[in-house]
Amino acid sequence: MPDTLLNLQCDFATALRDRDRTAALAPWLAGDAAHAERRVAIYRANMVAAADKALSAAYPVIRQVVGPEFFHGLAREYQRATPSTSGDLHEFGAAFDTFLARFEHVQDMPWLPDVARLEWAAHRAYGAADAPGWDPASLATVDPDAQPAIRFQWTPGLAVVTSTRPIVRIWTLHQPGYAGDFSVAWELAETALVARDGFVVTVAACTLGEAAFVAASQAGHPLGDAAEAALQQDPHFDLGALLGRALRDRLVCGFTL
Amino acid sequence: MTPAFSEPQVTGTGIGLRQPHYREVFERRPALAFLEVHSENFFLEGGASMHALERARDAYPVSLHGVGLSLGSADRLADEHLAKLKRLVDRVEPALVSEHLCWGAVSGVHFNDLLPLPHTGETLALLAARIDHVQSTLGRRILVENLSSYVAFRDDDMSETAFLAELARRTGCGLLLDLNNLYVNAVNFGFDPIERLAELDGNAIGEIHLAGHAVVDDCLVDTHGSVVCDPVWGLYAHACERFGPKPTLIEWDTDLPALDVLLSQAAQASEIAQREVARA
Repeated sequence: MPDTLLNLQCDFATALRDRDRTAALAPWLAGDAAHAERRVAIYRANMVAAADKALSAAYPVIRQVVGPEFFHGLAREYQRATPSTSGDLHEFGAAFDTFLARFEHVQDMPWLPDVARLEWAAHRAYGAADAPGWDPASLATVDPDAQPAIRFQWTPGLAVVTSTRPIVRIWTLHQPGYAGDFSVAWELAETALVARDGFVVTVAACTLGEAAFVAASQAGHPLGDAAEAALQQDPHFDLGALLGRALRDRLVCGFTL
Repeated sequence: MTPAFSEPQVTGTGIGLRQPHYREVFERRPALAFLEVHSENFFLEGGASMHALERARDAYPVSLHGVGLSLGSADRLADEHLAKLKRLVDRVEPALVSEHLCWGAVSGVHFNDLLPLPHTGETLALLAARIDHVQSTLGRRILVENLSSYVAFRDDDMSETAFLAELARRTGCGLLLDLNNLYVNAVNFGFDPIERLAELDGNAIGEIHLAGHAVVDDCLVDTHGSVVCDPVWGLYAHACERFGPKPTLIEWDTDLPALDVLLSQAAQASEIAQREVARA
């Protein structure tokens, strides 16, 4: 098969990604070079608009923090650095945190990358599978001697986001309808537990011990080992409190022995 | 090869269902023939969006309109994307499945846009093979939509409508005739849209799209952000008379207005269709 079409698409891509190289596409197009320049600019704007729209959906808090105009610029620069690789824009934005960590114009907000990781976890949780129905009472049937061997099944989309910044507080302040005070203890280190309860994405602070327990358990370790990992992280880790919370907030949706 | 895929029948007028209208549509249940959604918005495992789609599906026939498959990408068809579409089609059992006559990705970079293709024999051979593959993977016929375009290619050796007519003949695919896109291109490239409609076989047309556009300098740009303009209503009347009644969609994506605006556009389309079909 001739590859004229492939060459055309490569030149089109070059023109879209680099405004100084629109000339690469001009020979393929009807009309003169100035005409080509104007028309390719429409496609270039579409391309950035698609990135902005997708990132705005995944990162609404960051968009509020920096404002829509600056966010549009971030979307353009992120797209330049990390082009989309999928026709499914839910996938776009996975590396926004590492981009923000390096991008020089947001270095005055060192907590921004961690907020991005939190928002990405929330974005993934939004579309995660629905949790299967499960009766927590079934846990009570486990013989006490066998309890350390319990392997929990966590609700789909559950994620732990560790940070040395007050990311849960920042996230909370930017939720629609938030009406409390806007003070932030900037030195506070918060770790977030991101989940979905029904159709609602939930974000709550947890201790490092709880985070270690959930991470170990999600990685497939039995309850006993996960609790040990948690105690190493945090000598005050309270297994009973964590399990109570996990059942109350429907973070667990099953177990195996 | 012309595979014979059976297809549920939809007649009448529908609207594109977008998130801000979910609640109102489910509560009011307006009399619409179908709802159309962007397939890619539902490439999710579960959650609120999937639940909304299931509610829509319970109340109306649903049409899945893809914007990201990139049928015309020269280097590869994204089979992982097609697999997601197949999973959604199997889950929703939609009345219609459509894609665009476009490309959107090359060398691993996706532009997430509907980029135009040159209308050449090479493109036709590629698209026919791709559509065969998609239709056999999905186990059903798809509709392929004409595009709004801001550039034309020196290599073009047929019109887009002639290209689509041949594509339908070769693959058995249906056509999604977007009359706003046709009008946008007619203005941008200076041709007579009525002449182009004459190149199409009405039997191949499985759906019609109506939408609004914007004017940017010397160019009409397809924005789906305003009411259908008078010349496009005129084209719709002509198409109804020429091709008979076709499932027709009011498509609106940017600056989404109140639901009633969409419903009134849909009612206007129904009126025109009834009048023209009665006259024909």
